[in-house]
Amino acid sequence: MKLGYTIIYVADVPQTVTFYETAFGLTCRFLHDSQTYAEMETGATALAFAALDAIELNGLAVTPNSAKSLAAAWEICLVTEDVAAAYQTALNAGCTPVVPPTEKPWGQTVAYVRDLNGCLVELATPIA
Amino acid sequence: MPLPAGYHDRQLSPRLTRSVEAFWTHRATRSGTSLVLPDGRCDIILRYNDLDNTSPHLVLTGPATRAFSVPENPGDCWLGLRLRPSYGHLLWGERVAQMQDKTLRGAEAQVVLPALTLPSSPQSPRQLARLLQQALRQHLNETKPQPLTEALDLQHLTGGRMPVADLADHLALSPRQLQRRFLNAVGLSPKIYAQLIQFHRALRLIRDAGLPLSAAAFEAGYNDQSHMTRAFKRFGGFTPADLPPNLTLPQLHVAISDIDV
Repeated sequence: MKLGYTIIYVADVPQTVTFYETAFGLTCRFLHDSQTYAEMETGATALAFAALDAIELNGLAVTPNSAKSLAAAWEICLVTEDVAAAYQTALNAGCTPVVPPTEKPWGQTVAYVRDLNGCLVELATPIA
Repeated sequence: MPLPAGYHDRQLSPRLTRSVEAFWTHRATRSGTSLVLPDGRCDIILRYNDLDNTSPHLVLTGPATRAFSVPENPGDCWLGLRLRPSYGHLLWGERVAQMQDKTLRGAEAQVVLPALTLPSSPQSPRQLARLLQQALRQHLNETKPQPLTEALDLQHLTGGRMPVADLADHLALSPRQLQRRFLNAVGLSPKIYAQLIQFHRALRLIRDAGLPLSAAAFEAGYNDQSHMTRAFKRFGGFTPADLPPNLTLPQLHVAISDIDV
């Protein structure tokens, strides 16, 4: 078994892709013609977005992420050398600030924001 | 998905129509009864028989919360427009909540939809469908849509499992406001509507996905299997262990927030 994808169900796939490009500097490697599925260029394990419309069609039921309510108990962690700059870029793009860049006792710098859909995103330096 | 012979259900794109969820037809090939499960929607139906050439008569349904057994004979045809849940009031106006589980037929129904001129001689299904759509268009112009799409979307996405208080909170409404909007537009309380979604989901988990009953009850959000059994008896008239063959389960899909406003 290997982790293939992390798929986030969102209301608007193209909008989320554009947001992730602007806020986090990721690039899109695939957007389906139907505009209901996209993958970001994140290496072997794709960060992907799928339209909420697919939930019912797939027989699922979920609590949709929402910027208005409490974040769900999971996060995306993006690794960068310059967390302070990444944090500022994210806020400029419309992310909600959660925890500004903080140095951890083990030497890692981490910050937390919430994306346009209310998902928690951690920005962190690589562990040495 | 296996549907009974003679039943067809065509989804209409929300881009095409705000008020109509699906255009469906059903033609019976043998005598018997069809079990129609409650879906909380209102239907505008023309019923006729294409073997004895009777002229079509109109059937209008209120939002259903219980199953109906409909007798049918060879050649019996139904041609229906299924309204989106938030458009029950389009047909019934302020009485939509009083029409719960009620059906009007013939002359009584025509009073409700005066714009519809029923043909005196048999017509092709296509012609009948066009008549229905024209009749409805006039109603649409006179009716103000209710802003319920987000609430309905959330109920569908959560499989009916979001408590009404949380739903109201999410929409920055008081539970009482949400209740009133639901009753005025759909004709049902948000709680009953959620229970119908939960019931349909559990039914699919059992019938289509083949989940064991205990797993289906858990995933659908019932407290236990007997809770699920009670819901099945109430909404379908059968138990989860004893599903009728040939159940018709039309796709009840989510209205898409950004389009269906």
